[in-house]
Amino acid sequence: MTPRNTTAPARNWRDIPQQMHPRAMSTEGRRRVTYSVLKTIGFVVVLAGLAWGGFEVAGTFRETPTKGSEAMQASPVKDLVLVTDGVLDQAWMNHALALPKNTSLMALDLYQLRARLLASGQVRTATLTRSFPSTLAVSISERAPVARLSAQDKDDLPRTLLIARDGVVYEGVGYDAAMTQTLPWLAGVKLTRVGGAFQPIAGMESVAELLAKAKLEAEHLYNTWKVVSLAHLESDGEIEVSTKDATKITFGINEDFFRQLANLDAILDAAAAHPEKTLREINLAVGAQVPVAFADAAPASAGPAAGRPATLGTPGRAAVPASRPLVLPSFTIR
Amino acid sequence: MSSRSTFIGAVEIGTSKITALVGEYTGRELAIIGHGECSSRGVIKGAVVDYKAASECTHSALEQAERDAGERIELVFLAQTGGHLEGFYNEAAVNVKAADNMIDAADIRTVSDLAKSKELPAGRMVVHNIRRPFRVDGRLIPGTPENLVGQRLEVGYWTVHGQEQRLADNIHVIRGFNLEVRELVLASLASGHMVTTPEDRQHGVLAIDLGAGTTDYVLYRDGGPHTTGVVPVGGSHLTNDLSIGLRLTEGQAEKLKLRFGRAALQARDKAEKVWLDGNFAIGDRQFPRQAIEQITAARTWELLEVVKKRLGNAFSPETCAAGVVLTGGTAKLPGIAETAAKVFGVPAHLGETPTWVADNLRDPGNHTALGLLYYGVQAQSERLATDRRRGGFLTNVKRLFASA
Repeated sequence: MTPRNTTAPARNWRDIPQQMHPRAMSTEGRRRVTYSVLKTIGFVVVLAGLAWGGFEVAGTFRETPTKGSEAMQASPVKDLVLVTDGVLDQAWMNHALALPKNTSLMALDLYQLRARLLASGQVRTATLTRSFPSTLAVSISERAPVARLSAQDKDDLPRTLLIARDGVVYEGVGYDAAMTQTLPWLAGVKLTRVGGAFQPIAGMESVAELLAKAKLEAEHLYNTWKVVSLAHLESDGEIEVSTKDATKITFGINEDFFRQLANLDAILDAAAAHPEKTLREINLAVGAQVPVAFADAAPASAGPAAGRPATLGTPGRAAVPASRPLVLPSFTIR
Repeated sequence: MSSRSTFIGAVEIGTSKITALVGEYTGRELAIIGHGECSSRGVIKGAVVDYKAASECTHSALEQAERDAGERIELVFLAQTGGHLEGFYNEAAVNVKAADNMIDAADIRTVSDLAKSKELPAGRMVVHNIRRPFRVDGRLIPGTPENLVGQRLEVGYWTVHGQEQRLADNIHVIRGFNLEVRELVLASLASGHMVTTPEDRQHGVLAIDLGAGTTDYVLYRDGGPHTTGVVPVGGSHLTNDLSIGLRLTEGQAEKLKLRFGRAALQARDKAEKVWLDGNFAIGDRQFPRQAIEQITAARTWELLEVVKKRLGNAFSPETCAAGVVLTGGTAKLPGIAETAAKVFGVPAHLGETPTWVADNLRDPGNHTALGLLYYGVQAQSERLATDRRRGGFLTNVKRLFASA
């Protein structure tokens, strides 16, 4: 076999086509084809997704005033959308934001607007989002009141303020009056104004926990509570609750509220058996022994422990000295 | 080449067995991580004659190698052998164009293209273009002649070509597994690269791979391959001769060859006989040991004589100072180095497997597959480097996408 001299390059084995129909392949070969096809499809899908994302981003940038679109700079805010988990409404938001007319979306100072919203103690968090071309979306989460407070302003006009779980004092807006009237009054606290708002009340976490537990576990008791006093909270760790029938109930914050509420319920049941006696004071803060005092105080010589509540264990802080003590059994809650 | 590993398969579709290896190539190092083997079917004298049977065996070996490696092969280096492969030498010369007679890349490209541009007969395709050293004004240049000064630049190529259909059959067996054949490497080059050292190749060495169906050889001179060739005779012909000479079945003859065959006569006693099976079962027979040795030795001598004849003037003891290195399954025949030394008139020895090769691969029958990986990686790296130098930006980008 004698090759001839020529200038044309000879055919190389690489010229042999390597394409092969899957049907001509072995089972494993076909499996590999399927795998590579799926891999390619996946790659294309990812690529297409990226391209679409890029296109969208480019579109957004094209319409965004930061890219220099004067038309967008001039586009005024048309819609204000409020999303809240509470009771605040669109009117309140419009009033709080106080946006000037024909303000463009990009001209808005979102930090400032957010500060305006947060100036109301009722707003816990606020998120403002520009939604092009002309919508400002506001998403807020609100505080829920656990108690109320009566205060007087400079003009000696009485005002009702609400207190949230975190101690923030605010003027409630948009609440149902029937709901606010069920809240107990808060007493024994001093309101301090810092700047344009009141300083949060310390220890409200414990009070809120007590009230929440009472409302959940013993609503019939909670409904009788009128005033919650924090006068001895800081010094003695006690929360004093005055009921509508003037009974004073003392809770200790170091004891389990559920156990204390159960004790209270049992005591009230036991006391109901003596309708001739009016309860004056129940001290649940002293532990297993619960001193109870009745309003119809007995003579001083009536008992060995007259003038102070008798206890089976460690004596607690003295209740109303004029009361006649009654020792009740302790209740074990499981 | 990316920084991640490439999993390369090396496949040798031999007459007696099909071997597949998996190598993990990091761009700098190559580690063999998988091995698969299958008894060959549908292959005669290195050529695929039954596509289905050969495919099944090859795919089985590939699957086994992939399982062993725990990785999927991405591309394949395929060994090529068979009687259809032929080679010829062609050289060209150009006058250096530059006024100062300094050789530049264009001169080298022109002379190389001229030396390679020979039309082949219909149905033939180039498998390898093996370049011999450049000469500048008759002076041998071991490396590249670029920037050297001279008037006349010469180069010669040993071109190996094969029958298109046979080449395509081999490639399609691999494609049936949905794998791309990245390099087609002559079996002789692969095994020769494995059993010879750079020093041997510089001094001149003849590597002979004695397989079951073919005998592949490569003569190295001046550090590179000089002449290659394939003789379509191998160990199976020894078996066939024994089968005819002693009236045995192929299986029985193979058994006798493996147990008593020798490439050089040793038995002196004509009366010495050996048992066919040695288990004294019914049908077990005795054969004269000397007769077995005579048949195998004569055939081996003849085979080596054919190789020597094919080499012609290319081989001489003076240009082959490092002698003859024998490898392949048939090289395990006792006394073969002694016979080769007598035939070629130079020292001969069996090719040794490098020490870094794992124990399960340390067999002369695996030298081709092992060499295939190393020679293939080297050849591909050189080719890519050349292409990269030649290709523009667009070519490189296209290559990047193709490799992805």
